[in-house]
Amino acid sequence: GDSWGIFTFLCAALCNLPALPALNCSEELGAGQSIQQTYDLTRYLEHQLRTLAGTYLNYLGPPFNEPDFNPPRLARAERVPSATVDLDLWRGLTDNARLAANYRAYSRLLCYLRVLDGQVGTAELRHRLAHFCASLQGLVLSIGGVMSSLGYPLPAGPAAPPAGPPGVPAAPNDFLKKMDDFWLLKELQTWLWRSAKDFNRLKKKVPPAVVTLRLEARGF
Amino acid sequence: DSHIQYERVGADVTMKCGSMDWDAAVTWTANGTDIDESHLNGSYLILKNVNLSQSGQYSCYEGSSWHLKYQTNLRVGMPPKEPVLMCRSNNYPKGFYCSWHLPTPTYIPNSFNISVIHGTKDMVCEKDAIPKNRCHIRYIQLFSTVKYKVTLTVTNALGKNFTTLTFDEFAIVKPDPPESVVAKPVPNNPRRLEVSWQNPSSWPDPESFPLKFFLRYRPLILDQWQHVELSDGTSHTITDAYAGKEYIIQVAAKDSDIGTWSDWSVAVHATPWTEEPKHLTTEAQITETTSASTSSFMAPPTTKICDKGAMVGSGAMAVCWTAGLVVAAYSVLFI
Repeated sequence: GDSWGIFTFLCAALCNLPALPALNCSEELGAGQSIQQTYDLTRYLEHQLRTLAGTYLNYLGPPFNEPDFNPPRLARAERVPSATVDLDLWRGLTDNARLAANYRAYSRLLCYLRVLDGQVGTAELRHRLAHFCASLQGLVLSIGGVMSSLGYPLPAGPAAPPAGPPGVPAAPNDFLKKMDDFWLLKELQTWLWRSAKDFNRLKKKVPPAVVTLRLEARGF
Repeated sequence: DSHIQYERVGADVTMKCGSMDWDAAVTWTANGTDIDESHLNGSYLILKNVNLSQSGQYSCYEGSSWHLKYQTNLRVGMPPKEPVLMCRSNNYPKGFYCSWHLPTPTYIPNSFNISVIHGTKDMVCEKDAIPKNRCHIRYIQLFSTVKYKVTLTVTNALGKNFTTLTFDEFAIVKPDPPESVVAKPVPNNPRRLEVSWQNPSSWPDPESFPLKFFLRYRPLILDQWQHVELSDGTSHTITDAYAGKEYIIQVAAKDSDIGTWSDWSVAVHATPWTEEPKHLTTEAQITETTSASTSSFMAPPTTKICDKGAMVGSGAMAVCWTAGLVVAAYSVLFI
């Protein structure tokens, strides 16, 4: 009812990411270096998330903060983009598809995290979440930069709130809301691991030679 | 007719002579040896507080005719204790394997059953032929948020027990140690050792899943290791080796992002390059050698003492070596 409307509004407001600034410097740096930087960012974020998740799960309280907590995945949790992928499919992804999947996933995850930020109780959590969201925004921009420098189009931003199929309502009770939060953090964690592997693969496939050619072309 | 009978250590066992009446006259044998009548209660054989040595073939013969009326193979053993289970992915992202064993023997045959559940799905862990207590699973999906739950049940004639492991895909990643570790001296460099190695052959895709390495080395005479972490590459040059000392070197590997370090590789030994000792026949040549050695990092007195000793004879040589080691140890402390 009301909460659903508020949720939709919040997401729409927070998800209108500003248009990417022209990243001329990334072309000069070279796609190779941007990929390295993006890789380093995912590692940094993964490290940050460990602390954030620990604090947040404690805030949610048991059973969410128990190490053995292993709940089944409810249908509603499918709203959050999953990093899980068929092994052969993942191997066969083109560079463009690989980058786009990362870009889309983090854009949506960022959106959800921002909504979370508006709702949490303690000041410490708000501070941590805000810091993490800022870093995550940096990651999204970094991925966008790599895509641009390689000449790939950016995936369309989440113009409509990423609420999934219209039939899925906001959490009707406190426990399910906490479950949503739990899965959000889990998926974020898994995405950061996956990204490290995605960018490793990209590092090998995009040698600095690509950049040299481009610079020479501009010289003519 | 003959069958197998399993009993617990410490139990009291009563064996009946087949369908013979209680008051029938019978003789029992254990592995062919007659059993004293004191163990009989009528025609029943009573074994109190059985132990492992009492396992064997028990036969019951009718008193007068010496017909074999009953035979059983007694196996004394124990119900299984909680098994030890370990799961590991040394071939990420292909899959993982689980291996198990019992902490204490049961002395009787055991059967193992392993089940793997991933979320709501049951997965089949294919048993390995060798080693026996091992099975492997191939990943269908990668980067899973749902944990794997592995349950191992061990059953024998006297009881059963089980254990469960729950883990995330990334948590069990542990490569095998690096292979073909080679350490060589570097010509004309008395403080260097060149170490090279290869990715473990079980790691299927080092291109997309690069490994990072940890090198440790120490001279045999010291206990403390020196460590170097390498984010890529399969070689490293040690530049601070103590001249003339034999080194022991090991390497470990880890996926660059997830999981844990491998065990240490097989240790290799190497000694840095040392200048060839020249033949000493005259005093003049001793002075030459001494001045040449001062340019090396080691304390010159070591060389001087030994050279002089070489002139005098084998007895003095022993003294020379001891003195040399003492000075070496002393100078090492100062480096």
